[in-house]
Amino acid sequence: MTPAARWTGPAALLVLWQGLALAGGGWLLAGPSEVAGWLWSNPGLTTRAVAVTLANATCGFVLGNGAAIGLAVIAALWPRAQNLVAGLALVVFCLPLIATGPILRVLMGPGEGPQIVLAALAVYYTTLIPMLAGLRAIPSAWLDLVQSYGRGRWAELVHVRARASLPYLLAGLQISAPAAILGAMVGEFTGAERGLGVLTIRFTRDLDIPALWSMGVVAAGLSIAVYAAIGWAGRRVLPGTPPVILAPPRLIRGSPARRLADTALLAAAALTLWWAGIELLGLNPFFVKRPPDVAAAFFGSPDTRAALLDAAAKTLALAVPGYLAGLALGAGLAVLLSLRPGLAGLMVPLAVALRSIPIVTTAPLVVMLLGRGAAGTVTLVALMVFFPTFVACQQGLRQAPGPILDLFRSHASGPGRQMLHVRIPAMLPALFASARMSVPAAILAATVAEWLATGRGLGNLMALSASVSDYTMLWLAMVAVTLISAMIYGGIAWAERRVLLVMAPEQVRP
Amino acid sequence: MDRPGPPAPIECTGLSRLFDGSILAVDGIDITFAAGRTTALLGPSGCGKSTLLRLIAGLEEPTAGQVRIAGEPPAALCRQGGLSIAFQDPCLLPWLTVAKNVALGRKLARQAPDPQGVDQIINLVGLGGFQNARPASLSGGMRQRAAIARALITRPRVLLLDEPFGALDALTRRQLAQDLPPLWQDQAATTLLVTHSVDEAVMLAHRIVILSPRPARVVADIAVPLPQPRNPESPAFRRIVGEILAQLARGGEMAQSLAAQ
Repeated sequence: MTPAARWTGPAALLVLWQGLALAGGGWLLAGPSEVAGWLWSNPGLTTRAVAVTLANATCGFVLGNGAAIGLAVIAALWPRAQNLVAGLALVVFCLPLIATGPILRVLMGPGEGPQIVLAALAVYYTTLIPMLAGLRAIPSAWLDLVQSYGRGRWAELVHVRARASLPYLLAGLQISAPAAILGAMVGEFTGAERGLGVLTIRFTRDLDIPALWSMGVVAAGLSIAVYAAIGWAGRRVLPGTPPVILAPPRLIRGSPARRLADTALLAAAALTLWWAGIELLGLNPFFVKRPPDVAAAFFGSPDTRAALLDAAAKTLALAVPGYLAGLALGAGLAVLLSLRPGLAGLMVPLAVALRSIPIVTTAPLVVMLLGRGAAGTVTLVALMVFFPTFVACQQGLRQAPGPILDLFRSHASGPGRQMLHVRIPAMLPALFASARMSVPAAILAATVAEWLATGRGLGNLMALSASVSDYTMLWLAMVAVTLISAMIYGGIAWAERRVLLVMAPEQVRP
Repeated sequence: MDRPGPPAPIECTGLSRLFDGSILAVDGIDITFAAGRTTALLGPSGCGKSTLLRLIAGLEEPTAGQVRIAGEPPAALCRQGGLSIAFQDPCLLPWLTVAKNVALGRKLARQAPDPQGVDQIINLVGLGGFQNARPASLSGGMRQRAAIARALITRPRVLLLDEPFGALDALTRRQLAQDLPPLWQDQAATTLLVTHSVDEAVMLAHRIVILSPRPARVVADIAVPLPQPRNPESPAFRRIVGEILAQLARGGEMAQSLAAQ
């Protein structure tokens, strides 16, 4: 892309945005000029908030990624642990930030603790998964070489795996940088004293439109800046093309009985960690419920159960269509841009901007624009799923094997046929990987919208329970959301294996 | 250069290896390789030669029988850094320079660093001046030279070569087969060379073992009593090549594939 073409897209977006703002007459939509004006007149407020949020995000980034690297190394040194490590990590990744936020707040008090923990929780999974793949993405002959000198897994790690996983680590760190900002802001929503999230809540209550849009712009700018900064640092450390992270971590598979045993082991480990953690840390039983408390609430009280199931049904009714729409839009746009590359200059900056605005600032705005009905929530979920799917599918389309494309060209098959028969099948592993990873994000987006705006579903139930100190219901909702996310994730992983065994067997075989 | 010990004899007894419970790759092989001698293992593709080599290197566990190197299991020799293996794929780490890839051999064998030795062996294999080059900037033949240097830098007691020139074009292959063997012959390790090429085997080995198509069994065991250096045009050399091809012909299809090379 020429430098001129690179700037036409963003410039066109700015003009479009300003035009819409002028047409709207300042109602709910503040244009670039108003945002610039607001930021110009409130420099101190903005800078202090950015500094606080950035500091918390950085702490969470370091902690979360450190944990991810540690877990990945454990799995590399002890392959039997990999299924358990990946499974527990997934369970924690599926925890709804909206419920963990208030609980962390009552446990850790008014300081910066919850923001940092939530930022860490938001980043570790997107680093762990590429790391697990990277530590294994090596020719088996390299391992034979190490073994032929009588050396074990530690030498494999030090001499071969660590360096081989570096590109994957850098790619994971880059993805996790904006997620750290998002996590810190969600933490700030739960009752912090300072930071961008606190200001966003305040301006939402005041319906201060220019200020709210300014927060959105600042948060988006910050996210784009950290994404670009980590990307730049990564290219300095490691020149060359980044790896394509498509394949799921290769689980050690076995018979159905073995898989059942693995699942049971995972459930037992999760319950044990949950219960033992409470007992060992001596946490207050009023705020922190143990597994039997939650089970008793679900099975003992029909009213509670009915309220929970009703909320879950309402959330899923909006999250599922939004999720599917996001996947379809992401894959569809990637296919469209592959057939019409000229559109990329306009669409790619739009996609980056949409993705980079942290969901917590977009949620009130989108719901204000589209109303409190279904459209707002569905749109928000779709936006959340759209961008990672789009990026993954673009990479996937490029994976089409050159010789097969040449074969099609030699038979004078046009771009349409090549797309249908070669490129789209080559894209499927990427689409599935993104579909899996987007499940918790989609649930997060749906519950955030419910919490901040629409006042229904699981998000509202969790917010309401937190505000009236009904911690039993809060824990029940948290377990329900985690189970739902993990089950959808598992279902997609199952479908993925079925489809890829036919379409891309090299991705599935151990 | 220090050496972990003298060349070690290898003894296989009743050695078998099953894959997936049903595919027999190696079937009850009894064979001994004398210390310090070079033996070529000849046989058609997929006959189990590589599996035999991997069993001797301790990279696979036998389903029956055992391997003893100097009276001990292969793992013992591996742990002393007394065994080196070179594969058809040069297996260089792409992020290390040639010198560091070669030095990695000593590191993995837990031997003290020896920068001069590394430099010397790189010159000997014909890569002088490429010490700081990375594998991506080398040709296939040069990479294989670096891989052989890494195998030799530890002065192994047992040297296993799994078609080291197999992935190269005919010209490069001839050049490497001429340049490199004197280096390992100087080291006088117990050397096993897996190859498809009858000429290469007769050129380099003291002894040639012909294996049957899968499962691998010993079909013939031929001594090559010619002095080094050998002349591939000499009548004695051609007679031994003919004898081997005749042995292979009893394997039918296998002989065709070998004679074609």
